[in-house]
Amino acid sequence: MQYSDKTEVASRAEAIEEQGRYLYCVVDSGEKVSFGEIGIEGKEVYAILYRDICAVVHNCPAQPYRSDDQEVVKAWVMTHQKVVDAAWERWGTVLPLSFDTIIKGETEGSAERNVQDWLKQEYEGLKSKIEKVRGKAEYGVQVFWDAKVIAENLTRTSPEIRKLDEEIRLKPRGLAYMYRQRLENLIKREMESKADECFKDFYSRIRKHADDIRVEKTKKAEQGLQMIMNLSCLVYKDRYTELGEELDKINQLEGFSVRFTGPWPPYSFVGGA
Amino acid sequence: MEPTRNSHATLVDLLDRVLDKGLVIHADLIISVAGVPLIGVNLRAALAGMETMLKYGVMTEWDERTRAWEREHRKKKEISAVPGEEIILEMLGSYYYSEGIYTAWRMGRIYLTDKRLIVYHPSFEEVLFETPLEKIKGVALEIEEKYFTAKERENLCLLLKSGDVVRLHALDTLKLKEALEQRMSTLGLGWQEVPSLAAHDERTASFLSQGEEAICSGKMWHLTSPRGIMAESWKPGHLYLSNKRLCWWYDFEGKVGFEIPLDRIVGSTVGTRNLRPTPKNSKVLDVIYHNDLGKQVASFAGDELWQWEKALNQIVLQPVLASTKEADTCPQCGREGQANELLEQGCVYCGWVSPRLRRQLRRSALDGAAR
Repeated sequence: MQYSDKTEVASRAEAIEEQGRYLYCVVDSGEKVSFGEIGIEGKEVYAILYRDICAVVHNCPAQPYRSDDQEVVKAWVMTHQKVVDAAWERWGTVLPLSFDTIIKGETEGSAERNVQDWLKQEYEGLKSKIEKVRGKAEYGVQVFWDAKVIAENLTRTSPEIRKLDEEIRLKPRGLAYMYRQRLENLIKREMESKADECFKDFYSRIRKHADDIRVEKTKKAEQGLQMIMNLSCLVYKDRYTELGEELDKINQLEGFSVRFTGPWPPYSFVGGA
Repeated sequence: MEPTRNSHATLVDLLDRVLDKGLVIHADLIISVAGVPLIGVNLRAALAGMETMLKYGVMTEWDERTRAWEREHRKKKEISAVPGEEIILEMLGSYYYSEGIYTAWRMGRIYLTDKRLIVYHPSFEEVLFETPLEKIKGVALEIEEKYFTAKERENLCLLLKSGDVVRLHALDTLKLKEALEQRMSTLGLGWQEVPSLAAHDERTASFLSQGEEAICSGKMWHLTSPRGIMAESWKPGHLYLSNKRLCWWYDFEGKVGFEIPLDRIVGSTVGTRNLRPTPKNSKVLDVIYHNDLGKQVASFAGDELWQWEKALNQIVLQPVLASTKEADTCPQCGREGQANELLEQGCVYCGWVSPRLRRQLRRSALDGAAR
């Protein structure tokens, strides 16, 4: 009698502990499937169904994953991505969730119901999102320029800069300093307008090859290269080569370089309402 | 161009997506993960190689370092940093600002550090006064009577090796003085305990010669003439008008800093002067006298100047025909005097007595004894 009491307590404790569902992604499949223990910290990954869609989840305590150990967090995030990739590979279309998204339940077993309720509630939206990204993948396109090379080119081509540059040579040292300040400002302004111009040009060229496009924040300069453009492109999986060819053309321009990453699950195109 | 997924450079690209993007759930049941953005940043740093370290991790650290430095620096900047300096005492107080004849007590915080004494105005971030402790030559306590309240308060006077005199008043002046002296003796610095200025009058007899009588005396600032590398400056002291001379006692050096026989005085005037680019005009007593170099002016500033002027002008108006008298020098101290005065009265400066006067004195002494 005593013994069975204990197991009851233990199983209840376990149930409380598992009152959350960690979400990896949503896919359009009515297939009840288990991926095995490939989840974060070796948890079993399985699908919670609602009609013809399902959420890929694992059971977890109703609290976010947190750690001060960056190696631990790194392992979690990479695992998250691997699970999403596995689902993506299996069904071809996924709506990925960001790391550490957990739906909780108030009582025993209610977490699973909550996931289903959520799927039910959002069903239409989820379905239309699935349709939007079906057969497509996300690609990262980042265009950099070598500020030094661009500035030198500008000095050669801009009549205004060239004029000022020549004037400096004729000025006495003190005045030349002032003029150099002016020149620097002028170059900076010209660079900015040049960057705007390039952005417009490249954007329209890339846009043609993408189903949808998101303009992301540019990152800080690295190794003398300035990022002038950071895009997420939603592209049909079989059409990325056309985008690649277009990017090649940009990459060949003097002073420019392109980073082309992917294919990623369509993280950038499933957010929002 | 082929897209890449697994190179190191794409890692950040992936993280941007996994950590910041994806399907958004609008439900009460979602666990709020306040820590995620933070995890994201740290994680980027953890995963990154050097290039991304620069963008995230190192920047975070650099930022922290910058802030720490700023905090540290700012603290010290308040009293203009000397590395490793330690504050021993901090007290509200004021500093007697006496540039030229413009004077004012300026409020500030007095900091006594292990190396310096500083008066700092926090709001203006201005150091009103600072001196290394080893530059302090003398310390004195001054009792100042406030004119309006008739209350006495203590000021701390510092005589610096440069010859400047600094007056400070602190919330607890005695405590400041004690702490200062304690620190100076810890550092092995010697200083003079300049007698308190209040006790000054007891000493006046010592420089008044025999038969000399003070007619007027009072606290008075004097514009000392430039000496060596020292520029002219206003110094505190006491001015005495005796029946023989006008002299000014320099409080901090404890000696007569200026003197002229009465018959050298040509006149005096009180005027308002604006010696410095300060808005305040102050009354200054100019005493005009003559010496070997011609006419000179000695300037004094203090209270009741008009009384001084009156007293001095009365003396000048006395029919002293200085110019007709023969000038001579005292055989003992070499100072100038009038020949007949030297013979009949002796030297007012060093107390030299002429043989003629000595005979007279002896005779009168004998007469007195006989009576």
